[in-house]
Amino acid sequence: MILLHGRWRRRTALLALGALDEAEAGRARAHVGTCAACARDLEETRSALSLVSADPIHAAEPPIPLGALVTRVQARLDETPAAGRVSRPLLAGAGLLAAVVLAAVAGRALLRTPPPPAASPETASATAPPSDAGPIADSAAAMGRIESTLERERAARYLSDAQDVLVTVASSPQRCARRHNAVEVGPEAERSRELLARRRLFVETDAPSTVVARDVLDDVEEMLREVAALDACARPQDLEAIRGEIARRHLLMKIDLVTRELQG
Amino acid sequence: MTEPSDRDLMGRLAAGDRDALSPLMERHHRRLYRIALAYLRRPDDALDVVQETFVKAFVHAARWDGAAEVAPWLTRIAVNQAIDVYRRGRRRLAHEEPLDDAAPQGFAVHDPSPERRVMGREIGERVDSALRTLPERQRAVFVLRHYQDLSLEEIAQTLDMSLGTVKSALHRAVARLRERLQGVHS
Repeated sequence: MILLHGRWRRRTALLALGALDEAEAGRARAHVGTCAACARDLEETRSALSLVSADPIHAAEPPIPLGALVTRVQARLDETPAAGRVSRPLLAGAGLLAAVVLAAVAGRALLRTPPPPAASPETASATAPPSDAGPIADSAAAMGRIESTLERERAARYLSDAQDVLVTVASSPQRCARRHNAVEVGPEAERSRELLARRRLFVETDAPSTVVARDVLDDVEEMLREVAALDACARPQDLEAIRGEIARRHLLMKIDLVTRELQG
Repeated sequence: MTEPSDRDLMGRLAAGDRDALSPLMERHHRRLYRIALAYLRRPDDALDVVQETFVKAFVHAARWDGAAEVAPWLTRIAVNQAIDVYRRGRRRLAHEEPLDDAAPQGFAVHDPSPERRVMGREIGERVDSALRTLPERQRAVFVLRHYQDLSLEEIAQTLDMSLGTVKSALHRAVARLRERLQGVHS
């Protein structure tokens, strides 16, 4: 019964926010009509939300005219090094040139007879691209730099999002309405699973551009696994153990430092 | 003559045409300002967020997926920027004073009536203090829903969250706000 009420409480909050579709809203309203506690919940939630609706920010105007804001943006762009800007034609061109480089390397490998001896530091220079491959090599290097920048940004964003989860876990959690003496960590557990999946897809720990973050990425992954494994209504001592571990490793501070380094 | 679409303007930004900034800003700056202000509650910080959002939009215009809507893309930049500003402020305040003691600043609104302004300021302060208790992402979800009226799907897309996470975050945000605003009447 308590479990059921907890589920409806979530729906009444969304109902009060007008965030349910018509069918869901109809079901929620029908339930509220038969549940005095839910009706009270809905009333209190609406009352709180009406206060937020009266917040003058809804009608706030920027303190300076648009023209002045445009000027500020233009001035900031004047300070921003043009090299930092990556245009779509350059990205497309770099991709095309990378394909040419790959094709050239593959072609050279196929045409090479007889097979070369095992590479050694002394013979390595003999297999370097000929000097007339200079522009292609330059473009490949430019693409490499672009990819490095993207890898660093992805890693920084991932760490920043993970920090958000860990900060929430480390702060005072809400009591779980569905179980006595338990705390609600369902959203954090779900977010941890999403982040772990994202890391597997996008964050390269062995890439030279993100090697500086490898230890912190490993620590973060370990902590996210712990959070992901928690029940939605977790025991306070389990959460306390994770909190203690985050503090012992100074993880939030390390994430700050590494994120800043990744962002250059 | 038809106005250029947001996509046209983004295409011009991607080609390095800074003149496209002004019409794009005219369409979106007010909305982004209100999001940033609802999140940060400080007009100066909110203005910085809007400024940096358009700087980033220009610098990273080439990364914008031509098929995607421009408004959610800009919103996402602005929310991430606001979270960064909030984190920096939190780190700074951790060394100076408790976060809750940071007084909210006044801000310009459409309605100039003195009574409304006084009442609005009081309500704003209560809401401000309640919103400060929300974790970063919960606050972002709540702001996008309540101050911008985005659908749950749009919020999920903007913040790169699953729909379930958005629903949970909203529910928890509302529960906490309700606790904090109990007994206050508008």
